[in-house]
Amino acid sequence: MNSIQKKIWTLVAVVLLIMAAIWFALTYYNQKTQDRYNDILQRYLSMNEVTNASQQTIAALYNYLLAPTEANRGQVDRSKKALRKARMEVIVLRNADNDFALTNYMNLIDSLVETTDRSIMFQSEKETEDSSKAFSEATRISKYISEMTLTLLDTDLKTYDRFYRGIIEQSSELKKLGIWLLLSITFLLLLGTYWFSLSITRPVQKLTQAAKELSRGRFDLRVEVSSNDEISFLAKMFERMRVNINNLILEIQQKAQLENELQQSKLLLQESQLRSLQSQINPHFLFNTLDTLSKKAYLEGSEETSDLLANVAGLLRYNLKRLDRSVTLYEEVKVLRQYMEIQKARFTDRLRFHADIDESCLYVQIPGLTLQPIVENAVIHAVEPEEDGGTIEFRIRDGEERVTIEIADDGPGMTELKIKRILEEHTFETEGHSTGIGISNVVRRLRLFYGLADVIGIESGEGRGTKVILQIPKARRGEDDKALDRG
Amino acid sequence: MRKTVSLVLGLVCVVLLTFTFISAGRVLRSGWQLPREPDREQALYRLVLITQELDTPFWDRVGRGAKEAAEKAGASIEVWGSYDEDREDFLKKIEIAIDSKVDGILVQGLDTDEFKNLAKIKAAFYGIPIITVANDVPMADSLRRTYVGSDQFLAGQMIARQLLSDMGRSGTVILMGDSREEYYQRQRLNGIHDVLEHYPDVKTEYVETSDAKERVIAATQGAMNRIPDVSAFVAVKSSIAEAMIQEIGRRSRIEPYHIYSFDDSPNSASLLEQGKLDGMIEQSPEAMGRIGVNRMIEWLKGETVPLDTEGYHTEIRMAKAADAP
Repeated sequence: MNSIQKKIWTLVAVVLLIMAAIWFALTYYNQKTQDRYNDILQRYLSMNEVTNASQQTIAALYNYLLAPTEANRGQVDRSKKALRKARMEVIVLRNADNDFALTNYMNLIDSLVETTDRSIMFQSEKETEDSSKAFSEATRISKYISEMTLTLLDTDLKTYDRFYRGIIEQSSELKKLGIWLLLSITFLLLLGTYWFSLSITRPVQKLTQAAKELSRGRFDLRVEVSSNDEISFLAKMFERMRVNINNLILEIQQKAQLENELQQSKLLLQESQLRSLQSQINPHFLFNTLDTLSKKAYLEGSEETSDLLANVAGLLRYNLKRLDRSVTLYEEVKVLRQYMEIQKARFTDRLRFHADIDESCLYVQIPGLTLQPIVENAVIHAVEPEEDGGTIEFRIRDGEERVTIEIADDGPGMTELKIKRILEEHTFETEGHSTGIGISNVVRRLRLFYGLADVIGIESGEGRGTKVILQIPKARRGEDDKALDRG
Repeated sequence: MRKTVSLVLGLVCVVLLTFTFISAGRVLRSGWQLPREPDREQALYRLVLITQELDTPFWDRVGRGAKEAAEKAGASIEVWGSYDEDREDFLKKIEIAIDSKVDGILVQGLDTDEFKNLAKIKAAFYGIPIITVANDVPMADSLRRTYVGSDQFLAGQMIARQLLSDMGRSGTVILMGDSREEYYQRQRLNGIHDVLEHYPDVKTEYVETSDAKERVIAATQGAMNRIPDVSAFVAVKSSIAEAMIQEIGRRSRIEPYHIYSFDDSPNSASLLEQGKLDGMIEQSPEAMGRIGVNRMIEWLKGETVPLDTEGYHTEIRMAKAADAP
């Protein structure tokens, strides 16, 4: 994770490498040129050496012929040796153009040595004339050697002309190359440095931008940095932080919503309680009175009236007690029967009530006072306005997971719009309801209780009657129960 | 905008790199071409052709023939010499050749003591064979192995015969030659005399002059003054022909005179073309060079020992002005 450092090292390494390469190339080239120059100089020097050696030989010979001493003899031998050495050095100078001349040159040197020897030989044999003749010949040969040296140098200059010009040309080309190289490297380096610095600063800028957005409260923008260094690591962490914050916010929002719903249901309950309390001016007084009335009616032999009064009292008690807690379907059905008894007494033949109840499923939990308001609704709309009354059918059927409760009437029915409004829980005038609980209240409580939207359905049409279908799940969501119980 | 910038940068980059690479290529290509190495196998024989008249058409042709033959035989040959018959330089070249221990010397013979001395004593001392080319020096004087070139005696005869057929059986002929009287010149004169002595009506007058132009002119003037009825000229040495003709032309018309010369001088050919020469002996310089080299190599290899001391004569023919285009 030291990749910015790595990048910097890489850049420096590349620059160093380029510089080293150029330095090596230049040094190598320089060395090569130096070697060439040395070779060239060596050529000229070794040719010149021959001339010098031959002249020295002549001088030494002359001295010896004048004064044939041992010392002078040694001098001659030494200069001859030098001449032979020079001759050996000249051999390497051979090339195609001076082949012939060089052979001649070397043979001339040989001739000079031979002639010198001859001169010394004649001298030792006291043949002075021949000796001096040989000496003059040696002198001539030495002169020829000098001349030939010049000729060879001349040939060399001609032969090597292109070579020398090549060297000059190359060095001038090298100068140009240097300038081009400098320009190219400068340009590339600038470009590289720009790109390199950008690769560091761009992620930083992106990160800065992202931080700015976050600080402004925008948590929905992804933080993306496409590099492979520390900045990218930072960005990843940053992104994770953003996602976490985002999730937390969502969670808080959900909780708030839940709280809101709870609050609503509480309010609803309190409303119902308030209403019931309004009508509960003195419930004990009312119950006692109703009981007394019932007993009195019984004692007076009016048993029917007595039952009716008992039913009313039971209904009232139930109404007051059971609103805020769940009850079993059995209790609901029982209250419903009491209510229907009361209504029967009111409408006599006009109200026809058929109940079809599967007794095996009366154990399911259901919020209190849900069936009675629906049936009351049916009575109000389907029985009361009709002259010859109406029929209300009540059915409880067992299903696999749900218990289906159907309340059907043969009244005038209602419009689609109205059904929709009911199911969307719009409040209506609850006028005329004995318990003071409207259908919309029931719908809302059912949904809150089970946490299901399809717990209640309505089938109806103009003139086709109305059928309310409750589908009660056999198992309830526990927490909703608790929440409701707490309220 | 960004696209344009990167395009421009890329372009600059490419241009810079291109120039750099071109420059680098130039640096690597230029120079460092060393001269050729000598041919691995040393030439079998090293021969030298030495002449007094370098860079004349005649000797250039000799040299060409010699070089071709040497190349075929695997020998190396160089043409040395002096310009404008510089004898001292010429002799020096011979001495250098001998001291350089060449394998063989082809030389334009020079009929002087110094030359004979060099050839007879020094070359013989070093055991270097000498073949005379074009101009001979007798073997007794030079110890040359052989002579390759025209038969100068025959050439003289041909000139004389041509003269007779052009001029008729009578008349006066001025023979003009170099005062140095070299061997080949004597041979030519002998040839001419050999023919003309049978015709008593043809009188010959030998005029000696030297190479210098003024001397030639003076000699021509003198001769024409002395012998006003001269009807023919023969330049026994070809190099004096031009000055001679110039002087004749200055005094009178050239056409009536019969003028003859040899082709071994730079301007002989042009004189013949202009019609100033009536006839010229044409020799075979290439053959001289070629045969000279071949004979030398034969001798060196020991194939033909000894060589024909009389010499190997190359073809000669008479070129007449009438034939010239």
